[in-house]
Amino acid sequence: MLFSSVGFLFRFLPVFMLIYLLVPAKYRNFVLLVGSLIFYGVGEPYFVLLLIFSMLINYGLSRYMFWEPRSPQQNRAEKRARRKKVALVSSLVIDFGLLFVFKYWDFAAENINSLAGHKLLPVLLLTLPLGISFYTFQMVSYQVDCYRGTQKEPADLISFASYVSMFPQLIAGPIVRYDEVADRMRSRKIRIRNIENGLKLFTVGLGLKVLLANQIGTLWNTIMTAGAGNLHASVAWLGAIAYSFQIYFDFWGYSVMAMGLGKMLGFRIPRNFDNPYTSRSISEFWRRWHITLGRWFREYVYFPLGGSRKGRLRTIGNLFVVWTFTGLWHGADWNFLLWGLTFFLLLTIEKNTYGRKLESTRVIGHLYTLLLIPITWVIFAITDIRQLVLYLGNMFGVHTSTVMVGGQQLMRYLQEYWVLLIACILFATPFPGKLYHKYRDRWFAVILCLVIFWFSVHEIMVGANNPFLYFRF
Amino acid sequence: MSKKKSTDVKKRKQQGAQPNKRQGKPVQQPEKRQEKHSQKQLEKRLDKQQGKQPQKKRQRNQTVKYQDKQQGIRKWREIFYNCPYLLAVACTSLAVMIYSDEIGIRAIAREAEAAAAQVMGGGVTTQGPSVETMAQQPAMEATDLETLDGNEGENVENAGECKEDKNEIEENNDFLNDYEIEETAEEMDKVIKGVTKFETYEPQETDSRYYSDAGKIALTTEYPYSMENDSYFNDAAFLGDSRTLGISDYAGLDAADFYCDSGMTIFKLLEADGVTYQKTGEKVDLSQVLQQKNYGKIYIMLGMNELGYGNTQMYFEKYREVVKQIKEWQPEALIFIMANLHVSREKNNAETEFNNININDKNAASARLANGTDIFYLDANPLFTDAEGFLNAELTFDGVHLYAQHYDVWRQFLLEHAVEPKIETAEEAEGEHGENPFK
Repeated sequence: MLFSSVGFLFRFLPVFMLIYLLVPAKYRNFVLLVGSLIFYGVGEPYFVLLLIFSMLINYGLSRYMFWEPRSPQQNRAEKRARRKKVALVSSLVIDFGLLFVFKYWDFAAENINSLAGHKLLPVLLLTLPLGISFYTFQMVSYQVDCYRGTQKEPADLISFASYVSMFPQLIAGPIVRYDEVADRMRSRKIRIRNIENGLKLFTVGLGLKVLLANQIGTLWNTIMTAGAGNLHASVAWLGAIAYSFQIYFDFWGYSVMAMGLGKMLGFRIPRNFDNPYTSRSISEFWRRWHITLGRWFREYVYFPLGGSRKGRLRTIGNLFVVWTFTGLWHGADWNFLLWGLTFFLLLTIEKNTYGRKLESTRVIGHLYTLLLIPITWVIFAITDIRQLVLYLGNMFGVHTSTVMVGGQQLMRYLQEYWVLLIACILFATPFPGKLYHKYRDRWFAVILCLVIFWFSVHEIMVGANNPFLYFRF
Repeated sequence: MSKKKSTDVKKRKQQGAQPNKRQGKPVQQPEKRQEKHSQKQLEKRLDKQQGKQPQKKRQRNQTVKYQDKQQGIRKWREIFYNCPYLLAVACTSLAVMIYSDEIGIRAIAREAEAAAAQVMGGGVTTQGPSVETMAQQPAMEATDLETLDGNEGENVENAGECKEDKNEIEENNDFLNDYEIEETAEEMDKVIKGVTKFETYEPQETDSRYYSDAGKIALTTEYPYSMENDSYFNDAAFLGDSRTLGISDYAGLDAADFYCDSGMTIFKLLEADGVTYQKTGEKVDLSQVLQQKNYGKIYIMLGMNELGYGNTQMYFEKYREVVKQIKEWQPEALIFIMANLHVSREKNNAETEFNNININDKNAASARLANGTDIFYLDANPLFTDAEGFLNAELTFDGVHLYAQHYDVWRQFLLEHAVEPKIETAEEAEGEHGENPFK
């Protein structure tokens, strides 16, 4: 179920919230768990079983880490450490194993097959369970926290399961750490103010997704439809910018909706985006873009590998590992790997040369980021490497065939999308956020939110009646 | 203890009378209650010490009650003030739930009914309402529109034209042949009459309300087309959706007039809302344009945005109405009904209405309008599809639209399928261009 669907907005959410508020506080975690499983199960009736299975296995293993035999033993600490290690390793094998099978098997098998020249490994053609990348990472973070001892005592099953499957962040993040919700899992106050503000936040997220991301997405789609290779540089850049906006507002909108829903339920879901397009360097961009994912890789991959404390060469090696995996986490294809490695390259260069200077400049840093980011998004967007090369070529005026999409089309696109483009630029700056926090309690903010909400619903309905609206033919 | 309990019960009753407690702050309640208790106990103790009358006690109780009420009202008001947005959304949602057919309770009831029917019926698949309606069509059309004659049943097998021996080919019948009625029988003999044939196959079962499997693929009207050059399009108009827009943008047919928009449908085509005239970029009312300007050829390609709207029967009827209307305004014009291109394998989804079976269904319906004299059906699909009829994945980004560079092939196809506006005799035409238009 998507947040931006009638099923969620007018069926699931109101019913769930009513039940959630009416039941006594001690049953709320349970209601949240059941609600989340229903939320997931409606869209993924079979994979919900996989989710439950994963949660149970992980919970069992995490309990095993804390388990102590009653009888007195020698080498207590040593044995405990060994148990912990066994539990951690087996949970990592299971979690990443499942992720690998569902997400990466086919990619790996196809490439190995083509290398071997014959069919060595079967291609399974499995569909990807929704949100598996997100919930796997959450479970792994819990296991590692238990292993490290930052998680001092085991959570109870219901709390753990509702932490993993909590519907606001189940399918598109943010990747929450258990300690961020642990207190609230134990007891949380549900205040009418929080429900009110959470709902407002949710509405804002919905608007970002439906009114900005979905709309600007059609521009990117239109340009790609004409075909990479035929584009004038200006059109190619316009497409790249449109896609940059689309992916940002889509993902940011989802994260804001998750924060809003979390607030309504009495949780604090961490912020995932902090105006990334106003960064002055690529490193700053990644401190502001998908913050919880960056944090996960930093805490559970980069630091354990030694981070930047073991010499320059080792640091570069660690960055390489982190960015290879960050790239592949986003998708199992060569372009995602390339995308990750592009960031590895940019960040390595920045870290070792001009990074500091860049961040202290005003204009140059912004320009630098704004020029590079659309290029990285193009690498992210186009999975077909041949098309990708053509598109990137077009962006820099390299054409192998005649330019078919030029000034005339550019003018038409601008005529059609200029309002939306200006809106997107505005919402990529911090000002709307500031205004929101300043005026969110005023009556006109309430009316504005109401307008956004119903306008979004209207757009969703139009889209539902005409499933091809966003690809209008 | 018992006293304590009884007061507790009283309290609860009082609270019960104030419905706001549901949304109140449950965590804060116990503290307050305890405070009040201790206050009461204190009061009681003081009463005992001072030996006061029970009457006064009652009075004090009443004032407490009154205060509670006041507090309750204040609390209510506080809640109202604290969540105007929540209330606004809740109220408007409630209204929408009651009044909206698409979101509200009626939609839920419909969904539940459908789900129940699915569970009960198991595999109740409609063999396709439009198949039935199509079979019934001749009778209905004869009464509805005098333009049609109902020779639907006369399917001539023409095995020689088959791509595969198993397939049958049925001959099309004219639906709009009243335009020839004035002509004498002798003249009729001279007129070359194109034939629109259908390649039939075993239809699959579908359970969509939008379409059914027609069981046949319409083929380009057989006609001795001539090969022309670009000036052929000087008096041509193209009406269509985003794919026609593609032809406008990339096929280089600058001479022709293009009236098209993304998302255009046959239902919206002649509406006053208008269609964008690509030469000026302005919206124009096509019904007025077609009455003012004179076109020699009118190309129509619509049907993609209708895949999930109404059903094929509605689509066919609207198409017929539109073609008839255009013929009235432009009696001299040749009308080319262009087949909607198939979608790629990746985009083809049998579970939604978005698939080639549906597209074929729409195409076959519109092809029935082709009479071979002034209405032709052109199917460019063979140029772009693979053996199974899927749009070649190499040619498209989104599985629907061709890349810009491939529209040139389409242009060639249109030039190869030119029809001389002047009526030729059969012998001449045969002599000049006797080639089979099918590849």
